Amino acid sequence: MGGFAVALQPFNLLWCLVGVALGTVVGILPGLGPPATIAMLLPLTFLMPPASAMIMLAGIYYGAKYGGSTTSILLNVPGESASVATCFDGYQMARKGRAGPALGIAAIASFIAGTVGVLGLMLVAPPLARMALAFSSPEYFALMSLGLAMVVLLAGRSMVKALLAMLVGLWLAGIGTDLFSQTSRFTFGRMELLSGIDFVVVAIGVFAIGEVLANMQGREAAKALPFPKGVRNLLPTVQDLKDSRFAFANGSIVGFLIGVLPGAGSTIASFISYGLEKAVSRRPEEFGKGVVEGVAAPEGANNAETGGALIPMLTLGIPGSSTTAVLLAALVLWGFKPGPLFIPENPALFWGLVASMYIGNLMLLVLNLPLVPVFAQVLRTPVYILYPIILGIALVGVYSTSGGLFDLWLLVGFGLMGYLMRKLDYPSAPLILGVVLGGAMERALRQSLMMSDGSISILVSRPVSAVMLSLAVLILLIPLFNKVNTWRLRALEK
Amino acid sequence: MGKKLALVAVLALSNTVFAQGFTPTRPVEAVVHTGPGGGSDLLARAVALMIEKEKLLPVRMQVVNKTGGGGAVAAAYLAEKKGETHTIGFFTGVWLTNPLTSQEAKVSLKDLTPVARLVLEPALIAVKADAPYKTLADFVSAAKQKPGELKQSGGSITSRDNVVRQQLQKAGGARWQYISFPGGGERIAALLGGHVNMMVIEPAEAGEHIRAGNMRVLAQVTESRLSAFPNVPTLKEAGFNVTPVPQVRGIVAPPGIPRENVAYWEGVFKRLTQTESWKKFLADNQFEDGYQNAAELTKFYDEFTGQMRGILQEAGIKTVR
Repeated sequence: MGGFAVALQPFNLLWCLVGVALGTVVGILPGLGPPATIAMLLPLTFLMPPASAMIMLAGIYYGAKYGGSTTSILLNVPGESASVATCFDGYQMARKGRAGPALGIAAIASFIAGTVGVLGLMLVAPPLARMALAFSSPEYFALMSLGLAMVVLLAGRSMVKALLAMLVGLWLAGIGTDLFSQTSRFTFGRMELLSGIDFVVVAIGVFAIGEVLANMQGREAAKALPFPKGVRNLLPTVQDLKDSRFAFANGSIVGFLIGVLPGAGSTIASFISYGLEKAVSRRPEEFGKGVVEGVAAPEGANNAETGGALIPMLTLGIPGSSTTAVLLAALVLWGFKPGPLFIPENPALFWGLVASMYIGNLMLLVLNLPLVPVFAQVLRTPVYILYPIILGIALVGVYSTSGGLFDLWLLVGFGLMGYLMRKLDYPSAPLILGVVLGGAMERALRQSLMMSDGSISILVSRPVSAVMLSLAVLILLIPLFNKVNTWRLRALEK
Repeated sequence: MGKKLALVAVLALSNTVFAQGFTPTRPVEAVVHTGPGGGSDLLARAVALMIEKEKLLPVRMQVVNKTGGGGAVAAAYLAEKKGETHTIGFFTGVWLTNPLTSQEAKVSLKDLTPVARLVLEPALIAVKADAPYKTLADFVSAAKQKPGELKQSGGSITSRDNVVRQQLQKAGGARWQYISFPGGGERIAALLGGHVNMMVIEPAEAGEHIRAGNMRVLAQVTESRLSAFPNVPTLKEAGFNVTPVPQVRGIVAPPGIPRENVAYWEGVFKRLTQTESWKKFLADNQFEDGYQNAAELTKFYDEFTGQMRGILQEAGIKTVR
């Protein structure tokens, strides 16, 4: 309760509001992410008390997760890497004239899961941090395998095409300097490729540019996307909320638990949560065509992840992502010593931060819901104006992350690839999944094999890893099971 | 007293040089090769703050992230800015080692204009607090008895972590596994979780874990003992005849800039290292003052490159230059 005494001071409330509002804007803009924003604001924070500064910077961190969904849903341009999975169903909902409910459910899921994440941070931080340490390379490999198994759920009509797209994704993830041997792989003599291809470039190219190119070819070029009439159609219905019940819980728990692991991250959390949602859904065939729970699950997961990711950072001084790394550096610059003794020695700062996150999440909900109708207006723009804007946002977003022209050419290349994939009916989600998981999965496997001196049994002899690998196998069997079931039904009919 | 007077005289002299020569007229671009939050990025932003506070530049210093290629993209960017007087770069030793192993990394520090070396980052050899090894010799002899069974977590194989391992393996006649993790947090998590047995860690990172009783330090990778660790032996004191390869950070400028421009940058960073803010920054981060001027830095390049090439080749890592 002492925390609320800190967080409710008018000054701190104000900084919390500044942080979450800024975070929302940063989330909406593709390219400019929370780490860059926080790094740029560091000089300013020296003029503030550390508690206020921490409250504001954390506000940017979780506020960006709210904003990230906006462009994913409206334009198919993921604002942050964690919002890529939101594109799958969010953009399809927008195309059906349900942009409002999609944006609304994203805000509500973010609020619920964000709050659950803070609850977790408050209640179970130290023991969970110790449990996260038991998680090592074999477990990470199993987790990534579980994620990759989701490919069978993301496949469209053809499983072969989905697997091919995934393989291309895995190959793309392998480009660059190999960490273990320092050899260049598929760099074609280009130094820009030495550190690999940024996943955001692939996602924006394949989704946003590919989509624009494919639609430009159509004959309805001058028509605006369908726009809902009346305020009632702009917010999620009671049915939408009912449909998302499980997604709220799934996103909250999956996002929080994966967030605690220093080597995973919110992108993986959102993909796994989306896959899980589809695996247990009663209408899996509708996923990817605009179902509301397909938005709620990944959006919830990437918000719950924030609370989880702060756990290793605050209790052990171990950053799990670039944002937590910058926050950690900020603590050092203010004269704190992040590490195992940070919370016991600075209880007021910690509890003030926790309390401010409850308030901040509430502020974000109040801030974002009224914005839904405003943002939905974007779709009233005729496509001949909208598409050039999307292209512009995509180019500026990519340029702002790397500051190089090479990435812009890559973006164009991936845009063409996205276009061709749409024309030839290859699903793009498995490709993205491969790119997201490929690097971490390969690293985890090679680290595991180094730990066991080459024996593959390390992957199944550790219980957590064994359980997750079995789950992955089960998921791989789902399509087979479905097929057998159809045959059986057909045979029965005969 | 005499020393102080001489210093004042030198400063006065250099000040007059500035007055006649170069003064920046628009914001200065400071290029770093890491993204926001990376080591060079944080150093550059801290330096920008100190320069502003101590009024060492009449204009703003703006940090620009040119990521990619493990430093190669930033180095190439500086090389392209030939003759540009308002751009500097923050380099690390990676800018020298990367061209040794990557054909694609064509620009080396030697192709840029040296300005100053600023920081030396010392390191510690740490084990988990409940590990049976009380000294570095304990660890090495345990590794000798079970070749390849003990493990160390670290960065890429050209990083300092692996260089220290190679040197110790050679000096101690032992062999242990080296497992690369891309992030510093993952390396620490692997040690604290008991998945590896040892790691090379920076003092600022280790400090809190030592104080909390999670880690024990066996030795420091330094020439002489750090003030924060007066009771921990250096590698030589621990019985291993190893010359530590320094982890450095410093400033370079694009090639082909006028002489007075180089002198100006040298003066700015010389004065920076004499400020109280800089001394406090070094102490807070447990860095060592590694100041060298442009001429000394040029010599350092060759020593460092030679030492690294030898160690990499002995470790069986392919060098291309």
